[in-house]
Amino acid sequence: MDDTKRYERLLQRYRDGDISRRGFFGLLGVAGIATGVMGTGLTAAGRQAMAAAAADPVQVRFDGWGGVVSEAFRKHAFNPYEQKTGNEVVEGTFASGDEFLTRVKAGQPGEYNLFHASGVFDYARYTDLGYGVTLNEDNIPNLKLVMPALQAPYREVTNGTLSAVPYDYGTTGIAYNRDHVSDEEVKELGAAILWSDKYAGKIGGWNDWRTRIWYGALKTGQDPNNIQDMDAVWEALREHREGLLKYWTSGAELMNLLASGEIYLTEAWSGRVAALQQQGENIGYHDPKNGFAWQECLMVLKGSPMAATEELVNFMLEPEVAIAVAEGQNYPPSLDPNKVDLGEKIPKLPAFDPTGTLDGLTFAKPAYWNGHEQEWSKMFGRIEKGY
Amino acid sequence: MSTLAESRRPWLLLSPALGTLSFLLVAPLGFIVVYSFWLRTATGADMGGFHLDNWVEFFTDAFYHDILFYTVRVALITTILCAVVGYIPAYFIANTRMKNKALLLLLLMLPFWISYIIRTLSWINILGTGGAVNYVLMQLGIVNEPLQLLYNEPSVILGLMHYLLPFMILNVYVSLSGIDGNLVAAARTLGATPFGAFLKVTLPLSMPGLAAGSLLCFVLGAGTYITPLILGGPTNAMFANLIFEAIIIQLNWPLGAALSIVLLVVLGTVVTVYGRLMGLNQISKSFG
Amino acid sequence: MTTTTQSRATPVASEAAERAAAAGGGVATRRRPGVRIPRPSGWSLIRLASILVYVFMFAPIAVVVLLSFNSSRFGTFPLEGFSFRWFEALWANDAIVSAFQTSLVLGFLTAIISTSIGIAASLAMVRYDFPGKGLINTALITPILVPEVVLGVALLLFLRWLSIPKSFLLLLMGHVLITLPFVVLVVQARLTAIKPVYEEAAKSLGANAWETFFRVTLPLLMPAVFAGMLFAFTISFDDVTATLFWKSGGTETVPTQIFAMLRNSISPEINALGTVMIVLTVSLPLIAGGLARWFARGGRG
Repeated sequence: MDDTKRYERLLQRYRDGDISRRGFFGLLGVAGIATGVMGTGLTAAGRQAMAAAAADPVQVRFDGWGGVVSEAFRKHAFNPYEQKTGNEVVEGTFASGDEFLTRVKAGQPGEYNLFHASGVFDYARYTDLGYGVTLNEDNIPNLKLVMPALQAPYREVTNGTLSAVPYDYGTTGIAYNRDHVSDEEVKELGAAILWSDKYAGKIGGWNDWRTRIWYGALKTGQDPNNIQDMDAVWEALREHREGLLKYWTSGAELMNLLASGEIYLTEAWSGRVAALQQQGENIGYHDPKNGFAWQECLMVLKGSPMAATEELVNFMLEPEVAIAVAEGQNYPPSLDPNKVDLGEKIPKLPAFDPTGTLDGLTFAKPAYWNGHEQEWSKMFGRIEKGY
Repeated sequence: MSTLAESRRPWLLLSPALGTLSFLLVAPLGFIVVYSFWLRTATGADMGGFHLDNWVEFFTDAFYHDILFYTVRVALITTILCAVVGYIPAYFIANTRMKNKALLLLLLMLPFWISYIIRTLSWINILGTGGAVNYVLMQLGIVNEPLQLLYNEPSVILGLMHYLLPFMILNVYVSLSGIDGNLVAAARTLGATPFGAFLKVTLPLSMPGLAAGSLLCFVLGAGTYITPLILGGPTNAMFANLIFEAIIIQLNWPLGAALSIVLLVVLGTVVTVYGRLMGLNQISKSFG
Repeated sequence: MTTTTQSRATPVASEAAERAAAAGGGVATRRRPGVRIPRPSGWSLIRLASILVYVFMFAPIAVVVLLSFNSSRFGTFPLEGFSFRWFEALWANDAIVSAFQTSLVLGFLTAIISTSIGIAASLAMVRYDFPGKGLINTALITPILVPEVVLGVALLLFLRWLSIPKSFLLLLMGHVLITLPFVVLVVQARLTAIKPVYEEAAKSLGANAWETFFRVTLPLLMPAVFAGMLFAFTISFDDVTATLFWKSGGTETVPTQIFAMLRNSISPEINALGTVMIVLTVSLPLIAGGLARWFARGGRG
């Protein structure tokens, strides 16, 4: 137990900034590694016991995307929050929203508190499964800076209340390699260019059933939020598959395929294309009519320490934090551009709406998409595999 | 007393392994079996009870059978290729006069220090139309247009081989290095050709390693989902992809549970057959 | 001609340890320099083929190492310029460095525990006969037969049922579980090749079971022990699917960090980390070997 305490004290000094990381590792040393491990195992158990015994200080768990996003959160939101409140933010990461929901469903109540959720339909899935809460909006003054247009869809799902705050938004439009595909061509054909024979074998597509069906609806001239002829969409998706080189599965893969010239055309997330453009790649981006817009939120789950979590959410909505995260992931923040100065970079991001009304964007209707989820995700799973 | 102690000993030796297995594997497997008879409701919640729906779906839908057969086929091809391709370097390491054999083995594991996902993605830079292989072929004038090397069955098998070869090589090496060199020498003195001595002495004696390596390659190959997802085209999906999708994407745990049991039974049969063969191997050893 | 195998029948522990240290964990040749068998014909062909296999294995590594020195953020060829910036960024990135530390510690502990448990189980399986052996043999391999995503979810359901919170210890045990089959397979394969004669000889000379194991069986088993530990460490170090489900809050391994970066972009620090790992792996055994030789010569250069 002595070693554990020593390790904990060391860790505390390290966290307080008394010793540098190098010094910390040096002190741990080769023999210390083993001690450190035992320490980690024991302290993890000990911390949980402590948290159960004494309510103060509180631990809030946040799960999000790693890399630049979590670095921005740590630096601009979590560190100031911990200093001010004495609470601790425990960070976790996930690779996809679906995977996280699986973990929440299999996990223990209260284990997960706050997370970075995709899409209003995800918000609806969580609340349908009974994981939602009702936020006390008085505890989140920064919510007033958030565009009402982004809040409305969530309030619609949960009877006017919120279990999440909107955080960022983007579109899934058409990305094209301008060395091979002209701007005019893309503008003229719109979504149909992803079906073009001319580029067969050089077309990519996300293996996400919602995105695929959305674009299938655009191709067949239907309203994506009210599809009448589903068979036509399935047929269009089969046809799309024939000209497709690859169903990509992640933003990192999308960027690799586009940048290496492996594909010339695909639908893509606005922020990923912006990142490629900033790097000097000659990639164009076009939102076709009724292109797929989406928004992300910070969602609070049932069983969380409410006051502490709400305060953390408020920290994360500070313009400084939201802007840093937005610049990191290249998706505009949910802050109203009429109320907050968003700086230089953000107004140049694709999908950015300077009016703050988001009238030009079409979002997915959660009830409609979630109502068909079981059937459609399964059907697309088969089409994806050549059936 | 001593015979009693003797009869207890294997159980004593097995107890840590069996303890780990029963706590972390057998109990969770029980949950899987129970879950396979549940149903997914529209919201994604699970409905308990005893329903045969998932099983009926598996047994009546040819989609699942096709992909199961395809999975076994890909795993089998990969295993055979790994056995043939992997034996050579294992033989080389076992017989080389180089001092740093340990280093040669460590080098084989180097790709694992780079995360699976990154090294799988890096094949785009090697085999893609703008990748290294096509660049060399075009510079040499062998082809005029870049070849489409990715997103087909060969590229999936190639990716799997890259992942599985170290397992094969290390297993074969461990067996080869245990062979008494004098046996080969003796065979040669008795007039066997080098290749004859290899076939009659070395190959049979390295069978345990080759079998262990093949079993690992087959089982790991059949259970993979990331490689076909990143390196395969639409027709290269494998059974583990279906399980992953059912559980993670469709949040249909009951169906995912049923499909996992299917995969478990198929692979378990292979292991049992392997166990029988290895058992025979041991019997023949005791006579030899 | 003296047979080397017989001289190995009663090795002393110190000799075994020496061999283990010299060969980086006991990959000892069983031939003495004097007793070389003639090289098979076609040796150069075998060497060439082996080199080709190594080239194949190293192709993705080459990409990663090249990209780690690339000045641009994205991995597009041709490379834009040479730079050390990602190594500097790596050194300053606390999240990746601490994930790396977690992965190393987890891998080492997994290797040690899994190999110890695996050797004991293999001894029971190969050296003894008892009822239910076939079933247990299959059970020992089962962890790799169940897809990890299923194993991950099922274990969580079980823990929720027992109200056991996630912890580092649980993650460690989970890794032991998924690496155990690899160890058992490789150790069993080697053990079947070691004739019980040696152990019986030691026993007849008065050694008890422990002495027999540590002085006779274990030294002969060293290549498999080394391979098993290498497998266990590697599998643990590279595991992602099960780890995603079992990790507790605040615990990240390198693969889970990378997975979380997939949506946006994998930062090039990861390539730099790969390069560092490779340089360490290649150089450490060489340095250790060099030092061992240096000390053997009495430290006189």
